[in-house]
Amino acid sequence: MADTALERAARRYGADATLGNPIRDMNPLILLGCVAALAAIAVAVPGWVVAVGMGAVFVVIGFLGGRGSGYLMTFLKLWAAVGLILFVLRALLTRSGEVLVPLGPIAVTTDGVQDGLRFAAAVMAVCAAATLFFALVPMRHLMLALERIGVSPRVSYVLLASFQSIADLGATARVVLDAQKARGIETEGSLLVRVRAFFPVLAPVFLTAMSATEERAIALDARAFNRRGARTSLVRLRSPRWWEWVVLAVLVLAALATAIGANLA
Amino acid sequence: MTLANLHDVRFTYAFSERPALDGLSLQWEEGRVHGVVGLNASGKSTLCALLRGIIPHFHSGELTGQVEILGRELSEWDPAELSTTIGCVFDNPFTQISGIRDTVFEEIAIGLENLGMPRDELIDRVVAVVRRLGIEHLVEKNPNGLSGGQRQKVAFASIIAMDAEVMVIDEPTSQLDPESSEEVFEIIHGLKDAGKSIVLVEHKIDLLAAYADTITVLREGAVAMSGPTRDVLGAPELPSFGVRPPEVVELAVRLSGDGRDLGVMPMTRAEATRAVGTRMEEAHRAH
Repeated sequence: MADTALERAARRYGADATLGNPIRDMNPLILLGCVAALAAIAVAVPGWVVAVGMGAVFVVIGFLGGRGSGYLMTFLKLWAAVGLILFVLRALLTRSGEVLVPLGPIAVTTDGVQDGLRFAAAVMAVCAAATLFFALVPMRHLMLALERIGVSPRVSYVLLASFQSIADLGATARVVLDAQKARGIETEGSLLVRVRAFFPVLAPVFLTAMSATEERAIALDARAFNRRGARTSLVRLRSPRWWEWVVLAVLVLAALATAIGANLA
Repeated sequence: MTLANLHDVRFTYAFSERPALDGLSLQWEEGRVHGVVGLNASGKSTLCALLRGIIPHFHSGELTGQVEILGRELSEWDPAELSTTIGCVFDNPFTQISGIRDTVFEEIAIGLENLGMPRDELIDRVVAVVRRLGIEHLVEKNPNGLSGGQRQKVAFASIIAMDAEVMVIDEPTSQLDPESSEEVFEIIHGLKDAGKSIVLVEHKIDLLAAYADTITVLREGAVAMSGPTRDVLGAPELPSFGVRPPEVVELAVRLSGDGRDLGVMPMTRAEATRAVGTRMEEAHRAH
């Protein structure tokens, strides 16, 4: 007999949760530690080469985790939108060193370029680490891992619901805008028209959100959310493998050694 | 045991000038389906919230009168205990979804997780409920992407899965097509057969006529009529409370007005078909 969607789902939930990739299946908190350690190395090592190189390492990890192309796009956009600005500002505001390009009262100097690269690369390494983590780990898995170490389900609910509420607010705003459009109110066109159409949307959107939050709280209460006592979880993360601990230990030691070395130097 | 015993209950929501419940009294027995009907703003949803303890624990306001649920004063109930004893499905399907689960399967499991049910048992329970509601095709979908009707079924499934002793259901079919509505009522009937007590607010009077044991008509926060389904829905004064009787009752009343009384007051199409058939046979024999 053909395997139904329900049977497949039941079988899947009966086993440990897997995303089908050894990196993504790592315990989320261990993976967070690893990524944080790599970011710390990028920040601790003087100069910009390691920090830029670490960005490349993150991209490679992204590909190994099966999220490479999406992550690479995000990474490049981050560099273009944030990294470039940080570099330019830093490069223009550092006065020491040989002047490369004089620009009236300010100038691009050799030190400025070095400083800019260093600063932008370090900040982008931290941003890239955070982006990589959330590209690899579903929020739900992170919350499950946190609950396993004692974080209250209420806290994890608030965090998950906060992320969901962003999508909900967007959907409500679209509905309100469509309703306004149906009444003949101009909502599209120049930036000014869009801005003018946007502000009247805020009140209904936030009032709807507040009302929905109350109703959702009651719906959750109907599902015994406020019951005291032990809870179980349908989705079960697998226990961390020994090698995950080894990788974490190596990276944390490397980060500590790098930090100490940089301080001594 | 008595499911609910309310005497002279008045409730006014905070910041509201008019009471939502105004001298409401009723007594409902356990193990039956109690239908509630009435015009908009007649107090139906407020009554559901009161029975479920949402009033006064969530919605603040001024509550007076006696409210006894399953033999205990409402104030004696711990809200968390009440939430596991009385399951509740509300009318707005868009706020019945937790918003934090990736699949319908996980969504239905939330209540069971909170009850601390072992995983194997939990999975079996979800599978059984999904089959019962015929929503196998939804299990892998994201609950946030479902239509109103689909959400309504999922919310209903989530509460059924928790197997509460009592269920308060506020317009469970408001977003469903006729076929799905009938299926939901079949499930409600099955729950009653399993010994559950059900309070059901519903506008589809023909379905209520077929499945409810008692009907309570609300008007302006008070009970206008209450009693066995046949007595209430067959009463000539029912339309004066803004509630239209089932179509088969209207048919029987019109036939009676034309001097062709069916002899019985049918509540369902099946009963009407039988009564009309008998009447035609009698007429045929007479000629």
